[in-house]
Amino acid sequence: MLWQMKYLVVRINPDKMAQAFAIRVFLFIGHWQKLTLGLFALVLMCWYFADTEVIALEPWAELGRMFTGFITPDFNATEYLLDALWQTISFALLGICLGLLLGFPLTLVYQHPWVAAMCAFIRAIHEIFWALIFLQIFGLSPLTGILAIGLPYAATFARVFADILQQSPIHTLLGLPHGTDKLSALLYGRWMHVYPQIVAYIRYRFECALRSSAVLGFIGMPTLGFYLESAFRQGHYQQGGALLILFITLIGTIRFWAKPVMLWVYLPLAVYFLPDLPVLQPQLIWRFVSIDILPPMLQGQSLATWFAVDTIKDVFEWALELISEQVLPGIVATLVLACCALGLTHVFTLLMLPLNTRLMMPKWVTILMRAVNLILRSLPEYLLAFVFMLLLGPSMLPAIIALALHNSGLMVFLMVRQSDEVAVPLTYRRRIDDYCFTVLPTIYPNFMALLFYRFEVIIRETAILGMLGVMTLGFYVDSNFAEIRFSGALLLLLFTAGLNVLVDYLARKLIQVPRNRLQAC
Amino acid sequence: MKLTGLLLAGVLSLFSTVALSETFTFTAIPDEDESQLRTRFDKVAVYLSEQLDVEVKYVPVKSYSAAVTAFRNNQVQLAWFGGLSGVQARRLVPGSEAIAQGFEDQFFKSYIIAHHSTELAASDRFPVLKGYTFTFGSKDSTSGRLMPQYFIEDNLGKPVEETFKRIGFSGDHSRTISQVEAGVYQVGAVNYKVWDTAVEKGEVDTTKVSVIWQSPTYPDYQWTVHSGVDTVYGTGFKEKLTRALLNMKDKNLLDSFPRESFVPAQNSDYDPIERVAKAIGMLD
Repeated sequence: MLWQMKYLVVRINPDKMAQAFAIRVFLFIGHWQKLTLGLFALVLMCWYFADTEVIALEPWAELGRMFTGFITPDFNATEYLLDALWQTISFALLGICLGLLLGFPLTLVYQHPWVAAMCAFIRAIHEIFWALIFLQIFGLSPLTGILAIGLPYAATFARVFADILQQSPIHTLLGLPHGTDKLSALLYGRWMHVYPQIVAYIRYRFECALRSSAVLGFIGMPTLGFYLESAFRQGHYQQGGALLILFITLIGTIRFWAKPVMLWVYLPLAVYFLPDLPVLQPQLIWRFVSIDILPPMLQGQSLATWFAVDTIKDVFEWALELISEQVLPGIVATLVLACCALGLTHVFTLLMLPLNTRLMMPKWVTILMRAVNLILRSLPEYLLAFVFMLLLGPSMLPAIIALALHNSGLMVFLMVRQSDEVAVPLTYRRRIDDYCFTVLPTIYPNFMALLFYRFEVIIRETAILGMLGVMTLGFYVDSNFAEIRFSGALLLLLFTAGLNVLVDYLARKLIQVPRNRLQAC
Repeated sequence: MKLTGLLLAGVLSLFSTVALSETFTFTAIPDEDESQLRTRFDKVAVYLSEQLDVEVKYVPVKSYSAAVTAFRNNQVQLAWFGGLSGVQARRLVPGSEAIAQGFEDQFFKSYIIAHHSTELAASDRFPVLKGYTFTFGSKDSTSGRLMPQYFIEDNLGKPVEETFKRIGFSGDHSRTISQVEAGVYQVGAVNYKVWDTAVEKGEVDTTKVSVIWQSPTYPDYQWTVHSGVDTVYGTGFKEKLTRALLNMKDKNLLDSFPRESFVPAQNSDYDPIERVAKAIGMLD
């Protein structure tokens, strides 16, 4: 952080007494420097506790197979490929629509702390886990996938729209004629001011939804992820390479094929071409709420026996064992992993941002970097983690690096719009000191706000890395689902969500200064 | 708002489409090679449909737990389960029955494989594994998790967490092999058929990774049928289905599983699996 150093060097006066000096230094370190140093301290502490052992290995045979696969992709190896591509888009589209339908009304009541907490709770649970829950109720139905995207997205829309709406000026509202009805006042007085931001955000979320839709394939939805996961898991790298190339192209070309006017065509088609919906079975829903979610000793018992002393004791012991053997170690691992990944994301983003902005680099470099970013943010983290695992061994390190790379790809993608728009003086030259003096301080508050928001996302994403042997909360949730222990899984999800609500709350406390443009996935 | 109306109509129509028919549905996840699932198993569906005179459909699933859920929800009436998932499914659906198993599944086994740096050699005696890093296959696999964990705990007399320095779940037998080959984990447990096929095809560098121990045999994959198929598809349906499975001789179809042939099975064949699962705490 050159610009921070600059301040320190200028302000430090060697003649002062030691104590006064210390106080001075403390006072002179600004809000953002303190926050950054605090973050680094936290990250270093977590890094110390994290398991980052590097094990010398012989990864080259496998990496060679992977490399060969990527340079000789086989586009014919996947059955029903077009179908999978279309379903990926279709689930994303319908998920977004559902998210908007539920999210808009929620925006209006979002200032209510209970609504905000509920939304944080819903957001906290990864799409995959929502899908695993809905799988019990709706079975292998498209409804499972659409709800699994729509529900958490609604909660995110509610939060972000509420944030954006707060920025909207109220002068139009004051100028409206007397007797204007509430809805019109809201729409024309407030929404219209931020309409472009809202649309931009929805467009960005569509990209996220495509990723989510693909990821839902990992657990059985008929999207690209279904084949992608099998191909990589079983080492069919030619097939996997082809699917990955398709997926990245799909995301990279969104602005060409997803023009707003085309949505009127896509949406009816998406509904029409959904896979067959099995009949909704109310008894499945009933079974889920009346049996599955109960601790094993209460299942099938009549309500009257629940409150017998012995039963209560059993339930208590069951919960205590889960908490001490899975929840607590899971929370520790999740937080350690997420903090390390957060710190590394901070570093990676700051390193990559200058390479991406037109204020530092010539056009051809920024275009090249845009492609790099596209790949970083489109690659599922677990694939990245798997490659790093071959290189570094099965510690937390591969997961940390994978999360950091993926998230910094997204951060750069979002930040570069802001850094490109920074107004620079005529004397500005494309040099690192000019950049650090002019551009970075301007965007840094937003950068930190976005980073803290990513923390919530990183915590959620640790879930899918559980499979690599990093025992995060997600790992235990997944184990419980695999062992058909839904009550255990739900208890763990409850704690996962609680952790997220807490983190969200703390992050908001820390970043109270600039709340604008929190555009994040 | 026009847009809202349209969206609403779209979403509502999700709830209204009804696909109710007497189609007989099955699912299967082979223990090797999950590519081209639908193409391969649609052929099995055609065969069953011819034999049973009902419409038969194949539903691809991603994991054993998804298969168990689909079976429990009666979205599939027949499933090709692993040993453990079959037990889980039959516990959840009373009256469901194991009707046939693969020929190889009567005496299935797991291998313990090790990276050459461990200098562990193949032996009939159970290897000394203390202090190594170890990977299972997928969490709910019988041959990659349940039985290996049982044999290790049984032979070494303590929980696996106390034996190994680090435990992973690779998620798949092929991946277990590639990870132990690369030395990511020093030791791993793998389905014997997957290992043998990989060695046969030359996909494994056996100078880097080799089998150091093979387990005693146990029952594994089986066809499990839902209770109540006789009332839905006509009396004697279960018997007809069993016959159709046992008479499946076409190599092309059997290769999808991949099994030599199918032989009769019953629920009690899997009692050992259930006992073992309870012993290591995977079932209550």
